[in-house]
Amino acid sequence: MKKRWAGIIVLAVVLATLFLPAAKVYVHSQLGEETAALFPKTVSVGDVMLKGADCLPTAEVPQLGLIAFDGWMLIAGLVLLALAAVALAMGEQWIHASIVLSFLSIGLTFTFSLQVNNLCGSLLFTLLLETQAWIYAPAIGGLVMAVLGFASLKEAPAMNISDRTFRLLSGVLAILAVLCLLLPSHVVSVPETITADPADAAAMNRSTPLWKEMLGSESNLRAEAAEKGVYGSVLTGDIEVLVPYSNDANNIQGIFTIGSSTAAPNAYLIAAVILLALTALLAFLPRADRWFPLSLSVLALICIGATVMSIMNLGSGDMYATATRQLCHLGLGSLTVTPMLMTLLTLASAGCGVLGVRYANEPYFINPIPKKSRLKVIALALALVSLAFVLLPSTTVSFTKPGKNKVLATVDVSGLESLTFHAPEELLHPTDSKGKAIYQEEAKEDELNASAVEALMQKLFTSFSISTWITLVLIAAGIAAVLAHKDKKLPILLFLLAFVARLVTWLLAALSMPRSIGSSGATAFLYISLPLLLFAAFFSNFVNEEELPKKYKLFLMMLPFLVAVFLFSYLPLYGWSYAFYNYKFGIPMDQQEFVGFKWFAEMFTNQGHRDNIVRVLKNTFGMSGLNLATSFLPMVFAIFLNEVNNMRFKKAVQIFTTLPNFISWALVFSFAMAMFAMDTGIFSKFMLSIGAIQEPVAWLNSSEHIWLKMWGWSTWKGLGWGAIMYLAAIAGIDQELYEAAKVDGANRWKQMRYITLPGLLPTFIVLFMLSVSNILNNGMDQYMVFQNSMNKNTIEVLDLYVYNITIASKGTALYSFATAIGILKTLVSVTLLFSANFLSKKLRGESIV
Amino acid sequence: MIKKQPAPEMKKHRKVYSKGDIAFNIVNYTVFFLITLACVFPFYYLFINTISSNELVRLGKIQLYPREIQFENYVQVMKIEGIADALLVSVARTVLGTLWTVAGCAFLGYLVTKQEMWLRKVWYRMIVITMYFSAGLIPWYMNLRMLGFLDNFWVYVIPGLVSPYNVILVKTFIEGMPPALEESATLDGAGYIRCFVSVVMPLITPILATLCIFSAVGQWNSFTDTMMLMPSGKYYTLQFLLYKYQHEAQSLAALVRTTQDSGSMANLSIKQTALSVQMTVAMVVTLPILLVYPYFQRYFVKGIMIGAVKG
Repeated sequence: MKKRWAGIIVLAVVLATLFLPAAKVYVHSQLGEETAALFPKTVSVGDVMLKGADCLPTAEVPQLGLIAFDGWMLIAGLVLLALAAVALAMGEQWIHASIVLSFLSIGLTFTFSLQVNNLCGSLLFTLLLETQAWIYAPAIGGLVMAVLGFASLKEAPAMNISDRTFRLLSGVLAILAVLCLLLPSHVVSVPETITADPADAAAMNRSTPLWKEMLGSESNLRAEAAEKGVYGSVLTGDIEVLVPYSNDANNIQGIFTIGSSTAAPNAYLIAAVILLALTALLAFLPRADRWFPLSLSVLALICIGATVMSIMNLGSGDMYATATRQLCHLGLGSLTVTPMLMTLLTLASAGCGVLGVRYANEPYFINPIPKKSRLKVIALALALVSLAFVLLPSTTVSFTKPGKNKVLATVDVSGLESLTFHAPEELLHPTDSKGKAIYQEEAKEDELNASAVEALMQKLFTSFSISTWITLVLIAAGIAAVLAHKDKKLPILLFLLAFVARLVTWLLAALSMPRSIGSSGATAFLYISLPLLLFAAFFSNFVNEEELPKKYKLFLMMLPFLVAVFLFSYLPLYGWSYAFYNYKFGIPMDQQEFVGFKWFAEMFTNQGHRDNIVRVLKNTFGMSGLNLATSFLPMVFAIFLNEVNNMRFKKAVQIFTTLPNFISWALVFSFAMAMFAMDTGIFSKFMLSIGAIQEPVAWLNSSEHIWLKMWGWSTWKGLGWGAIMYLAAIAGIDQELYEAAKVDGANRWKQMRYITLPGLLPTFIVLFMLSVSNILNNGMDQYMVFQNSMNKNTIEVLDLYVYNITIASKGTALYSFATAIGILKTLVSVTLLFSANFLSKKLRGESIV
Repeated sequence: MIKKQPAPEMKKHRKVYSKGDIAFNIVNYTVFFLITLACVFPFYYLFINTISSNELVRLGKIQLYPREIQFENYVQVMKIEGIADALLVSVARTVLGTLWTVAGCAFLGYLVTKQEMWLRKVWYRMIVITMYFSAGLIPWYMNLRMLGFLDNFWVYVIPGLVSPYNVILVKTFIEGMPPALEESATLDGAGYIRCFVSVVMPLITPILATLCIFSAVGQWNSFTDTMMLMPSGKYYTLQFLLYKYQHEAQSLAALVRTTQDSGSMANLSIKQTALSVQMTVAMVVTLPILLVYPYFQRYFVKGIMIGAVKG
């Protein structure tokens, strides 16, 4: 009953939003006042639906004639939405149908909204349409409906659909979705007036299916431009025709270049096709897990969605992607997306999949691989994938001139190539981007001549070839050994040897390239193949078992986390090496100048650096010291708050004083700017009115009492928060102590002094020691927001100083010096922490870390 | 683990207060009232300044109560270029980052309680020890740069997967639970993941809620990472824009001039100024925190207690 009402309400809301303004219309002054008056100020979705493009006075302004809204999409979408609502209201057995219907309706209405939004982007010069959020209301209605449907699934009876029917259905849907990529997916129209030759215009009015997009719309356009000269004529001959539409002819000429990047949508589409094909395949497989096709089709759906969005999105990065789209963007044509059946079909298949899986009559989780050989299959799969990776590009060679950092050419050497022992031409005779040979026969004094380079490269390549062959043979032998499953030690050994062989390839790549020619290194493929081989060795240990031992299973689950910890916490330690180099940006590490302990020494010997460091340390210790010296304040706060008897007041104080801890320092600075503004802030007004100051003072832009001011702000922010822990500790003190004290006649002060305070001291000591060990790490957010040119000298703490001399200062960045400071800082902090811990153990018999 | 004791119910003192008590109470209540006021007043002050006439604000006439109330600032600020995008980025990083780190730390915290894991202690120490050292700003920055995280939205999310402190919290919490529950599930044939999702997760929701709120507030509030890791100006967050507006008043003023509707030029009271924009953005940034804060307030008391036990 509730669902029924919810469905009707959603429908009513969607219908109501149809009459709200969906787009605002701004008319260009060029049109003249009379024509401009014809335009409506706003257009509602309802108008678009009923009148189509006629909702704008297209007859008066011929160049608007191209506007076409596919209003029927919206109508169809709304009808489907209504049907979904009806189905939802009909009862439980119709809920499945309702979900699928609402999916379809989302697809249609969302496409419509995108289309209108997109057109608004392309109507640039004569009028400007600005869409409102309401345009998405019907699509959101569909979404709400789908969610409602899913929510009611719990109560619904199982769907009466056999496993076979389900498989057939989702397989056919997936195939249909792939076929739909052949249908025209978007239409480009350009008015005849802007090209000299009507044939050109006809060539530009075309519809493109998605698969063409996939094959590379950019190259298509280039080919078309070369054959027909269509873009040529727009680019050069008829530029005058374009001029009236723009103030600046140069601008247009600049814009009219065929863009270079359509790679992303293509990749999405290819992925989508592969995923859909897999879906169909898996769906028809008699004993496969049902979750796979479902999740694959959902992924494919996301890919297609991304493609469609990027095609339609003329704004941002893709704005000038292709010449036709540029025309559209200039308002000289239009690009519309025809109903994207494939999106709908994938949506529908996703919907069906969800329903089928959720309420299948049979158990759905069927793994087609027999339990006994699962681990073997995993081991084999890993070995095969690493075999494939060996054949992929594994090393990249980059050529540079000695003493210069500019890379002149990069050549990828793949394993497949190196099987032949014949080095590719571009490796032996490298050419730069213009096709000119880098090394001449007659070399200059410090350069190698071409034949020497050739000999070196051939030598390098031969070593690659040998190592590749060895790796391949080892892996193949390992696979054979796994299949033969005589002995499980042998495949492990073989895979480990292959791993070593890969390592050797990597070292060869890294070390054997002469620095005078350039550098070479491993590609991502090589790096990935290393852990793959290790895993293959690991799994081949268990080929005869049904399940991994628990301890390794747990370890494998842990592994991704360990990798993350390694990448983000341990790998940065590699950066400590910068401290021993004269590090310059953009130069490979092996060509940096090694300087040893120069930077560490400079901290003490170089006058300028030393002065700075002393100043910064003074600030750091000063401000940390002030905070340390007053770190008893939260405890006092808690003790006195505990004496408040009115619980409601106590609670309110606690809530409101904790609040400042949860806002950022940027926000604190906003408060400071407002309240301490020189002549308008409340603080200045107050001080003036009581006569404490005679004229407005720049509170924030001064260098006076910075430490105190900073202390004030951090206390304001942290006082209430710091007290929470003490309040919790007070709650843990035995109440009987107080009762006993009262009986003995202790007054309130005495209770506070002799019961509460001693109860809190252990907590206080722990926190105090922790903050002592953090004395150098006082963060930088606070000081960064309060920093300005007036107070920089007294506010710069160590962290902020390191930031200021590196990332913040672009040209003269002292990266190595800053790293050296960072190393010392970490060492000091760790020492302090462990001393504090040691002290704590000695004094209290308890460690704090 | 400290058992949480019932809040110390103040015994209703039927006895007559002594003079000293009354004086103490008056002073105590007054001081706490003033401290609370000091904590709340800045929020109020900023708020009345954003809803009053901008002309009066400019002249410094809005101090204690709003005058000529208008909400145009909030409408206009959304039209400034980049703010809507920044809002989206802020929301996205808060939601995704929180889910990612809480899910990661919860599962990891569960895994490290499993005694049977291969070399468990080694891995656990390896994770915990990262709490106590850091490579420093530059190596951290160069590392993220090397991994391709510069100008990349995911830098807000992915590196936060493992936070040792949170892992310890979850681990302590799980260890405090009776092991029988999990054992019975294992007997019924549930694997580790099943056990975690169906048995452990529902039981550790209090600590997860605490982690969620801390992580979300941290994500929402951070701006220095945007400053360092987004050199080409992509994926700005709202907090960072606020910081930028505070420190680049001139560019903000220019921005305000260009986005100003010509129609509203005449009306000084709703005309945007650099100050009004900065304050309004600050208010917009605060609102979500103010909205969720009262609801989640009780959770962090719990969280900080559990944290205090481990230290």
